[in-house]
Amino acid sequence: MFGYLRPESSELKVREHELYKSVYCGLCKSMGKDYGIITRLTLSYDCTLLAMFAISVKGECSHVKDGRCVVNPVKKCRFCSSEGEGFHFAGAVSVIMTYYKLLDTIADSGFFKRTAARILKAMFRHSYKRAEKAYPDIAASVKAALDRQFKAENDDSRIDSAADPTASLLSELCRSLSQDEAQKRILGTFGYFLGRWIYIMDAADDLEKDIKHDNFNPFRKNVSDDIEQTMNYCNDVLNMTVSQLVPAYDLLELNSYKEILDNVMYYGLSFQQKHCLFDKRKRKKCKNKEKDYFAYLSNGDKRS
Amino acid sequence: MNDPYKVLGVTPSASDADIKKAYRELAKKYHPDKYADSPLADLASEKMKEVNEAYDQIVNERKNGGASYSNAGQSGYSSSYSSGYSYSGADSVYNRIRKMINDGLFVQAEQELSGIASGSRGAEWYYLMGVVYYRKGFLEDAYNYFQTACQMDPANVEYRAMFSRIQQQRSGAQNGYNANANTNGSGCSCADCCDCISCLLCTDCLCSSCR
Repeated sequence: MFGYLRPESSELKVREHELYKSVYCGLCKSMGKDYGIITRLTLSYDCTLLAMFAISVKGECSHVKDGRCVVNPVKKCRFCSSEGEGFHFAGAVSVIMTYYKLLDTIADSGFFKRTAARILKAMFRHSYKRAEKAYPDIAASVKAALDRQFKAENDDSRIDSAADPTASLLSELCRSLSQDEAQKRILGTFGYFLGRWIYIMDAADDLEKDIKHDNFNPFRKNVSDDIEQTMNYCNDVLNMTVSQLVPAYDLLELNSYKEILDNVMYYGLSFQQKHCLFDKRKRKKCKNKEKDYFAYLSNGDKRS
Repeated sequence: MNDPYKVLGVTPSASDADIKKAYRELAKKYHPDKYADSPLADLASEKMKEVNEAYDQIVNERKNGGASYSNAGQSGYSSSYSSGYSYSGADSVYNRIRKMINDGLFVQAEQELSGIASGSRGAEWYYLMGVVYYRKGFLEDAYNYFQTACQMDPANVEYRAMFSRIQQQRSGAQNGYNANANTNGSGCSCADCCDCISCLLCTDCLCSSCR
């Protein structure tokens, strides 16, 4: 996962923001305990959200305790912990996904990156085994999804089929959170479009990088000279996905963290679209323009 | 039945205005228009019913006994959950496929559609293929199919309603980010007016397609 799922902090209340932070720290702690210290490095906003979502859907009881940050012991932290398996679940997803991401990097990168990934893989091996043992289903799903992803990227480059493996994976993961049939159906739809959104967002965000390094990207055939126009197209695709995602989310029975989850769904997603597709690029463009301008100025100096 | 106050998410001490507000919010949340063509339409309709009943019950109780009661929830939001597709076309193959789609047999419907020779694929073929892909979650393919259907048969109300609904979704007017909108919130931008008008047109098309 890639860190696109986060609340829009300007729309959060201070106490909600603190609660969010405590879940983030709580997940970090729980991952360290469950799967080994090194797995704390894999902590991401996406998995924090997944943990909150799992706890909320399962209706688990969670509480907040004071403590100190492991990475920076001077800093005081609040840790959220839950009695159920929400944190273990999200931690396992994070560890397993990271491990398969490393395998993927080893398979298709240059020498230096490959070597670094090999070393990391060796370090993660033990943690992965632990996560796999605890959640064999997740490991199997992730592996199957990556195989399908590999095939989809080679077969054809339609956006829908490229996004399908990630979407189906998230759909499966979300479905596993409930036993109730109706709830499962909603979770399945919700997960599908959430996975689709994440995949497309990542593809759109990496578009320029992928073109430069000649990597696969589903949007490559849609690229026009005007990058803004391409981004508008990506934004349309994302909007349509969100239009399917939010109605499914609205039907879910949530038991806790409702304000924060609402924030992510109603503000966070669109904010990320705005930030990654438009604002970030504009800033880059301004910088480049500035550079050109200064280059022009200094050339002018030389001329005179 | 559940506690009606809990369903609406208010306390029993809430004022009539608060209850009405909570009801309005929920009715908007589960509104049938939002779930048109959604695979979850039946669940949304259940929720809507629950909310309507809860609101009715509270209004009833507050009216003291509620003997002469006939009001509120039922008005406006209740029916119109017609997720089915009409069987108007003369072609029996397409009617059979429409029935499959209604029954949720998407894989079968897709197979059947793929079996039709590419020479004899009319606008309806593209429309139905679009519906199948839409339900599968392959939204871009669906969008392209609907677009082709509309181009081939611009006069068809059904195709046009579907297509404009999707364009509405893509614009980010309801959910997502509207890149063309005035995000500062100062004044009414032209895009907003257009959205408003297209929204009205959309609902109009929807209503006429229900009949």
